[in-house]
Amino acid sequence: MMQAAARLIREQQGRLSQLDSVAGDGDHGSTMMRIMRSLEAAFNSDMPIELRKCFCDAGWKVMNSDGGASSSLLGAFFLGLGEGAREQAWWWDCTELADAFEAGLRAIQAQTRAKIGDKTLMDALAPAIEALRTAANAGQSVDDALHTAAEAAQVGAKTTETMIAHYGRARLLGEKTLGHQDAGAASVALMFQGFSQAIAETKGNAAHARW
Amino acid sequence: MAMKKFINGPENLVSELLEGFALSHPHKIRLVGNNLVARAKPKAAGKVGVVTLGGSGHEPGLSGFVGQGMLDVSVPGEIFAAPGAPRCLEAIRLADRGAGVLFVVLNHSGDVLSANMTMTLAQREGLNVRKIVTHEDIAGGSNPEDRRGLVGFLPVYKVAGAAAERGDSLEECLKIAEGMERNTRTLAVAVTTATHPATAQPIFTLGDDEMEIGMGQHGEAGTGRMKLKTADETAELMLEMLLKDLDVRAGEDLLVIVNGAGATTLMELFIVFRRVHQVLSHKGIRLARGKVGEFITTQEQGGFQMMIARMDPELIRLWDAPCDTPYFVIC
Repeated sequence: MMQAAARLIREQQGRLSQLDSVAGDGDHGSTMMRIMRSLEAAFNSDMPIELRKCFCDAGWKVMNSDGGASSSLLGAFFLGLGEGAREQAWWWDCTELADAFEAGLRAIQAQTRAKIGDKTLMDALAPAIEALRTAANAGQSVDDALHTAAEAAQVGAKTTETMIAHYGRARLLGEKTLGHQDAGAASVALMFQGFSQAIAETKGNAAHARW
Repeated sequence: MAMKKFINGPENLVSELLEGFALSHPHKIRLVGNNLVARAKPKAAGKVGVVTLGGSGHEPGLSGFVGQGMLDVSVPGEIFAAPGAPRCLEAIRLADRGAGVLFVVLNHSGDVLSANMTMTLAQREGLNVRKIVTHEDIAGGSNPEDRRGLVGFLPVYKVAGAAAERGDSLEECLKIAEGMERNTRTLAVAVTTATHPATAQPIFTLGDDEMEIGMGQHGEAGTGRMKLKTADETAELMLEMLLKDLDVRAGEDLLVIVNGAGATTLMELFIVFRRVHQVLSHKGIRLARGKVGEFITTQEQGGFQMMIARMDPELIRLWDAPCDTPYFVIC
């Protein structure tokens, strides 16, 4: 799943940097590549992996990838996700998935006050995780949950086009940020899209998907 | 226009520049651990350590000020991007000589996020660390949280480093650093863009006949885009804004720094500094200390930062104290 996410990010690297150049210094694509390489390294095993340990390791590696705000925030997210996961789990059911991702969201919220509507990665991340919880409550499969989460993230990222930035360097541009998607939100949407695609490729046998 | 830079490729840019930097100042600094820049000869035990973090591509900032009397360790990040918390934590452990560590953070989102995470991790380990965030860019508006940290880091490193060197406690060092920071204001102006060395893209665009006051260190947009003015007009405009914001009165002592952004010549910086001196004399404000040069740059960006700081006898004493770093020496 991390590999699928990394593949999408790699394909869209140029677009992510382009989005970032509207208000930042235009390096979000290469930053995300470093982050995805860290994630791939943490999950690079043919053996079944203990998810809690792996996500904690991933968070630490991402934080150490020197990718500015993105790596601090996503690092905190994956570290929180790992710390919030059940011990000794090699696969999550839908409720466990939602629990872990919600713990990740709380960890990122402890680092930034950015809320939905501030034109940050939160605009894609929060709706995606909310979709996971809704799917879990409705008793849906992990496939369906990740599919709706990916859609929610994409819609969330798309809505950032209509927003004015309130956080990070971009806030200094104010209304000039209108009409452009937030690069961080676009990256999060791609990651969820990658997770969902990887699961879909297992054709209903989600437990065979590799993180 | 295609990028024209003497680099070997984007992948190893930072490690190659750090290697060259360390090799060119072997008596003052060395690379330690995970590409941390540390003093060649560590500070005596029992003295407060001073640590900073920040993206690369701004040389000689920030690692150029590691050495006796200023910083103990600097944590360089990737190009224009903050280093992660794990390396900052490593730096703090390294700088801790038993009297705690002062962690100086320039107010940029990535640096602040990393620093906050570092503080959480340091507290878990029981390390004695205090943090100060520098935010003196008046282009950010009236809310201090929106003001970025520009060249104002220099006097903060200097006075905090001098206090640490003479044996002040961590609380005393923090108080001195905060006093310096509170009395510092900076404003930047840009005339030409820089190329991001890793992406080869220009980081902003400005018309041939335009300048922008309030431009950040990474080309973050400012607020005052206008037709290009002369050195005197630009200096007057910026100085007036700074003096008003800091509320400087006749008879007070100022430290003034004119910092080149990378492509603006010393010739131009001197012409600007001269005008600052004239205006201050006219107003009866004393230019107690001054510095002109490149302390933090953004590649080949054209423009400069003008910094003023209100000084008292104690701050002047600490500013004048000896220091020996690759890019700042007082002997």
